[in-house]
Amino acid sequence: MAVLELRDVTKVFPGVVANDRVSFSLEKGEILALLGENGAGKSTIMNVVYGLLSSDGGEILIDGEPVNMRSPRQAIDLGIGMVHQHFMLIEPLTVTENIVLGREPGRLGVIDFALARTRVVELSERYGLKVDPDAKIADLAVGMQQRVEILKALYQGARVLILDEPTAVLTPQEVRELFAVIRSLVDEGLSVVFITHKLEEVMAVSDRIIVMRAGRVVGETRPEETDDVGLARMMVGRDVVLRVEKPPSTCGDTVLAVKDLHVMGDRGLEAVAGVSFTVCAGEVVAVAGVSGNGQTELIESIVGLRKPTSGTVHLKDIDITHAGPRKSIEAGVSHIPEDRHRRGLVLQFDIAENLVLGDHRLPPYAKNGIMKPKVIAEMAEKRIADYDVRTPSVSVLAGNLSGGNQQKLVVAREIGREPMLLIAAQPTRGLDVGAIEFVHREVLAERARGRAVLLVSLELEEILSLADRVLVMYEGRIVRELSAEEADAETLGYYMTGGGGDKLAADGVVPVMGGQQ
Amino acid sequence: MLDSIITPDLFAAAIRIATPLALAAIGGTICERSGVVNIALEGIMLTGAFFGTAVVLATGEPWLGVIAAVVAGISISAVHAFASINLRSDQTVSGTAINLLALGVTGFLMKLWYGHPGTTDQIKTLGSVFNFEAPGGGVLAEVWRWVNAILFTHSPIVYLAIIIAIVAQWAVFKTRWGLRLRALGEHPRAVDTVGVNVARGRWIAVLMSGALAGLAGANLTIEQVGSFTENMTNGRGFIALAANIFGRWTPIGSYLASLLFGFADALQIKLQILRGVINVPPQFFQMLPYILTVVVVAGVIGRAVAPAASGVPYRKD
Repeated sequence: MAVLELRDVTKVFPGVVANDRVSFSLEKGEILALLGENGAGKSTIMNVVYGLLSSDGGEILIDGEPVNMRSPRQAIDLGIGMVHQHFMLIEPLTVTENIVLGREPGRLGVIDFALARTRVVELSERYGLKVDPDAKIADLAVGMQQRVEILKALYQGARVLILDEPTAVLTPQEVRELFAVIRSLVDEGLSVVFITHKLEEVMAVSDRIIVMRAGRVVGETRPEETDDVGLARMMVGRDVVLRVEKPPSTCGDTVLAVKDLHVMGDRGLEAVAGVSFTVCAGEVVAVAGVSGNGQTELIESIVGLRKPTSGTVHLKDIDITHAGPRKSIEAGVSHIPEDRHRRGLVLQFDIAENLVLGDHRLPPYAKNGIMKPKVIAEMAEKRIADYDVRTPSVSVLAGNLSGGNQQKLVVAREIGREPMLLIAAQPTRGLDVGAIEFVHREVLAERARGRAVLLVSLELEEILSLADRVLVMYEGRIVRELSAEEADAETLGYYMTGGGGDKLAADGVVPVMGGQQ
Repeated sequence: MLDSIITPDLFAAAIRIATPLALAAIGGTICERSGVVNIALEGIMLTGAFFGTAVVLATGEPWLGVIAAVVAGISISAVHAFASINLRSDQTVSGTAINLLALGVTGFLMKLWYGHPGTTDQIKTLGSVFNFEAPGGGVLAEVWRWVNAILFTHSPIVYLAIIIAIVAQWAVFKTRWGLRLRALGEHPRAVDTVGVNVARGRWIAVLMSGALAGLAGANLTIEQVGSFTENMTNGRGFIALAANIFGRWTPIGSYLASLLFGFADALQIKLQILRGVINVPPQFFQMLPYILTVVVVAGVIGRAVAPAASGVPYRKD
């Protein structure tokens, strides 16, 4: 008998059917992957199961008994635990306090902290989830915080554990550890629902796969019966090209010329230590590197968000070294920022407003300092059609869109501006395969239109599929330049982690590259 | 000169003046720990002060007045709770509305019930709890005179405030209620997901802050002044908020910070006797507690981190 079964569960939000008669079951001791694009309704359906959202139809059965799930408390009492994508941890409190919250041991309302701590230690030993019970959450790394979340669910007596996009925030090493933990939980008799949009994870860890698309279950399979391409097709509903084809580059005039740029980081250390390179029209130049090696500061100084300490940035013949974001946009630089929430969008603004940001004071969108809502709305309608932003209307708040649609919105605005230079910093972060393919096609379309593209990415796959030239950044310097033909994952990985630095120095090679050869 | 300023009653006055600030500040602490900002403390205190006085005027019973002040404080804070928790309105707006409402309602009822604005008749007050004999001469007797004058000349609510500070500190950090309270003000959704009712927890906290601010009002009228005057709280609710911040959102911290403000106020009263000696207008000294407030709130003496979700209404989905 299934520990958890859903029969025709439906959830309707104003204007959207988030879940349309979703049915599936979870067997005891099983790892079930719930696969789907962003916005497919995976998290919504599990929030319904966890009692955070009420359903608008259908039945949920636990151990074969139908239940009317009204609150998380009830779900917890029935043995359902959930680790949310955004952790539900209270940062200033300790690990122990977080785990026992809601079910604190003690008498007459007074918490027995010693007993609480003992229970936490016992649990963590039993499941091999090592964690310091007295540490404050704020001081823990993300992977560790996730362990606390899992322990919290176990402490509450979870028999069914729902993990919502658990790997989104983890390093590859932490992902491997998490998979080991999941397997040990299943060995202890738990059942796991694993929500994800990443194909390789599904293949690596699941026993069975439920694929969701647009709020519906569209398929069920097992890892041994399918592969990446098959899963991607089920998920997106059409054939997905995991690596976009591109014609050879036709390098035109030099568009961006960065010369001996030095930039300070937030901690007062030099983050960019003398970087020179050029990008020409019709070319994609990618900056590869492990996060935190100066890529962010490099981009910020080119687009005018951060002042360089020395060096120059030229866009064609214009010196934009000290231009600031407004002049930089006017000069023809577009920027897809790495954090769409922080820099890319105003989440409280609607789609039309977000699309006009940056051009909002220029004709045709404004005249004499007064914006023209009609012109803006027309432009917005056209853009959401061109860039396939899925939304009921252009007056929906950006914050209410799914991550993929938000990113398309940023891409629509930045490319729609028809820039001379497009700077794309991690343009596919957090996106699913369908949206990644879309963004990649748009970037290559820009290249085909003869524009210059500077791409910064942490994903080697992305760099390899888009770049004409790759600059490898390490500790604030460009340590290597590779052509598309020379670049492969192994070579890039080698230089990204500081390999070859000594050799270069020994050979007398100056580790600063520039221009086209 | 100095020994006419540094006297036992300077310190006694500091404790006395600190009491209403501390009670309201602890109320503010509990309220903000739950995630609701309560700038209505001023108005709640004023409401408590008025209804406390009115009940003593009607019954002649000071303790009934204290109870009435607490009930009035709870009642008016319920308005704030409903607006900020159920209606999810802006808590600063709701708090300001209550402050203005309290000012208007108490002034209106003054005229309606007593026929004149300004100040009510004198009421029967609660006096000193202890009344120790002063011993004979010697150094020990002098020490005793100081200790007695500073610590054992106070009315009941002054001691109650100290007890409340200690008990609240223990409750916030050691009990189930306290853990949930602290969690509520940081991450209400996390509290919701472990099955604890967010709205209920916040309601209780807001009502508690109302009770404490009402009690502060009772201390002002039924213990200190002996009558009610329109707008007699005179910014104490806001100084209490500052004390709560300076006290790092802890009950004992709030009490100690209030003591500092109380001391500044007691000192300025004493310093006014210098008027004839140095040519400084008395208004200069009267500014001192408020300048101290600004300095404290501006974070000059170390920054404090407010509960992360304080002031943010919670929406379930």
